[in-house]
Amino acid sequence: MGVITVDKADHLYWLGRYSERVYTTLKLYCDGYDSMLDADEDFYKKLCVMLDIPNIYTSRDDFLQRYGYDRQDYNSIISNLTRAYDNAIVMRDEIGTETLGYIQMAVYSMDAASVSSAPMIQLQKVVDHLLAFWGCVDDQIDGYCIRGIMKFGKRVERLDLYLRFHMDPNEVRRTYRRMLPRARESQLPINQTAMDALKRYIEAPEMDYEGALSALLEILNV
Amino acid sequence: MHDICKEADAINEQLARYGVKFGIYKNGEFREQLFPFDAIPRIIDAEEFEYLEKGLKQRVTALNCFLQDIYTDKKIVKDGVIPPEFVYASSGYLPQCEGVRAPKGVASHISGIDLVQAKDGTWYILEDNLRVPSGASYPLIARGLCRRASPETFRERKIVDNRDYAQLLRRTMDHVNAGGDNVILTPGRYNAAFFEHSYLAELTGSVLVTGSDLFVEDDILYYNGMGGEKRRVGAVYRRISDEYLDPMNFLPESVIGVPHIFDVFKKGNVAIINAPGNGVADDKGIYYFVPKMVQYYLGEECITHNAPTYLPYYPEDMKYVLDKFDEIVIKDVAEAGGYGVVFGNKLTKAEKENLIALIKAEPRRFIAQDVIDFIDIDIMENGERVPRKADLRAFVLTGEDVTVWKSGLTRFSRNPDSFIVNSSQGGGFKDTWVLSR
Repeated sequence: MGVITVDKADHLYWLGRYSERVYTTLKLYCDGYDSMLDADEDFYKKLCVMLDIPNIYTSRDDFLQRYGYDRQDYNSIISNLTRAYDNAIVMRDEIGTETLGYIQMAVYSMDAASVSSAPMIQLQKVVDHLLAFWGCVDDQIDGYCIRGIMKFGKRVERLDLYLRFHMDPNEVRRTYRRMLPRARESQLPINQTAMDALKRYIEAPEMDYEGALSALLEILNV
Repeated sequence: MHDICKEADAINEQLARYGVKFGIYKNGEFREQLFPFDAIPRIIDAEEFEYLEKGLKQRVTALNCFLQDIYTDKKIVKDGVIPPEFVYASSGYLPQCEGVRAPKGVASHISGIDLVQAKDGTWYILEDNLRVPSGASYPLIARGLCRRASPETFRERKIVDNRDYAQLLRRTMDHVNAGGDNVILTPGRYNAAFFEHSYLAELTGSVLVTGSDLFVEDDILYYNGMGGEKRRVGAVYRRISDEYLDPMNFLPESVIGVPHIFDVFKKGNVAIINAPGNGVADDKGIYYFVPKMVQYYLGEECITHNAPTYLPYYPEDMKYVLDKFDEIVIKDVAEAGGYGVVFGNKLTKAEKENLIALIKAEPRRFIAQDVIDFIDIDIMENGERVPRKADLRAFVLTGEDVTVWKSGLTRFSRNPDSFIVNSSQGGGFKDTWVLSR
């Protein structure tokens, strides 16, 4: 077996990021769905702010349909899942058919949820497939570096989302610390100045969410 | 015996899970489609396969001799066996390959030979595919799933295991590798056969690359690792056609090829699988001459049968074509994938007149064949067995020796009135069982 090309490293990194984006936003979407049943019908507006996406939706129901399943909506969960799939499908030779199968099944389940009379039940399958996907990554991929790149992408995405959500500082710090070993394992060239700044903003007694987010966006800019 | 057909839905579900698809462009839009699998296999018994194996080895050996000869000594033309216009007017003939000898005398490493079986049991060769024949991955992955879905079937029948294809392919690549990694060169995700490219890369341990990953430096082919390290490439199983392979030597507008890869090949510093220029040997016009090639190069009678074929280029064949127009099938040699195939009796009067005028104006462009009434094979449709036309693509791998893969891709038409089995035209596929006794 040869070495990882630059393009492949990029696909692996973004496969990690998009699959995590789907996983985390799906949980948020399901929680929001529950809130909008009877507590706060306009909760989706807050979700748009949290997710840092434009509120193009006309109502709760419009949000639930389009943000979940509309492939024309660039920010929708299905659009992000499609991007995960697009990055996975070109990586079959590295991640294996078995691993790739879980992303494929997540897409099928997402499509099934879009026409289901009980979409929240169907969406659990998407979550299950994504968790199985990461289990398969650990179990079946021998390449230390390949796993490292994907997991680095996953951890960067989670940190990015948690910073945008202004999540509890301890949770953000925990996520940040889990990202660090993955950065080393990935063997990707890291912008050390940005990494140092990220550490400063995150470990400060008063967390600087915006500063940390800006630094995070720069860590692969070398 | 356990009925494997009962598990067809489960097998198709698994094929969907693993993304066993092919891509098509319709109305300018790319779509991925599942390749429908029918669980009733084509069964070839041991004796029949032995005959096919012998014939296919002989045929591919002769075709490899032809490819070596036609770009170097051209003895077969000089000796008047094949008229020169059939060689040099062929769109598959590449003048750039003149004087180039393929490494170890192998130009067609992976040959896909399409056959049909007539109702009297005779197997006929429909065409030789020596450029980038695809399709082996489908029965390969299906077999594993069938064995899982219906283990009793494989316990009770003596079916030769076909899951060695990746090893055979790897061995074929290693045989001609000029030193370095094996890579599979794909045009990319939006190619019709991308599933196959990526799946075979996974199974053979080859690196899947696109043209932009590869570069030439000092007559050596490399790809770059993410840390900037250069890795030498020794063999390229390319899944892009000749004209797009190298913009410096072939189509200059190609953006999916690798500049100067052909120069590296000419110097013997990389193997290209299959070699450039093979299109001249699988041209529909050259097909007519394959039995003569066998006789000429090997001094043997051709074991395989061509479908009875007529070249309007020869006056006596032109007469036959015009006399029997309503009973024959006419093929445009420039077309592929089931396109350009016309049944004389299906044309209107005006269409018939137009086509005859075209044949008279450009006789080299067409071949005509008697319609072979080939056997139907049952498929399951809405829970019932119904007969459909089917062909067989056999795969012949040439490395240190010539090996016929003990399986093959059986494609069938889902349309009861159609002889066209191509996946791009809505066909499905079956596994092909070769019995060990």
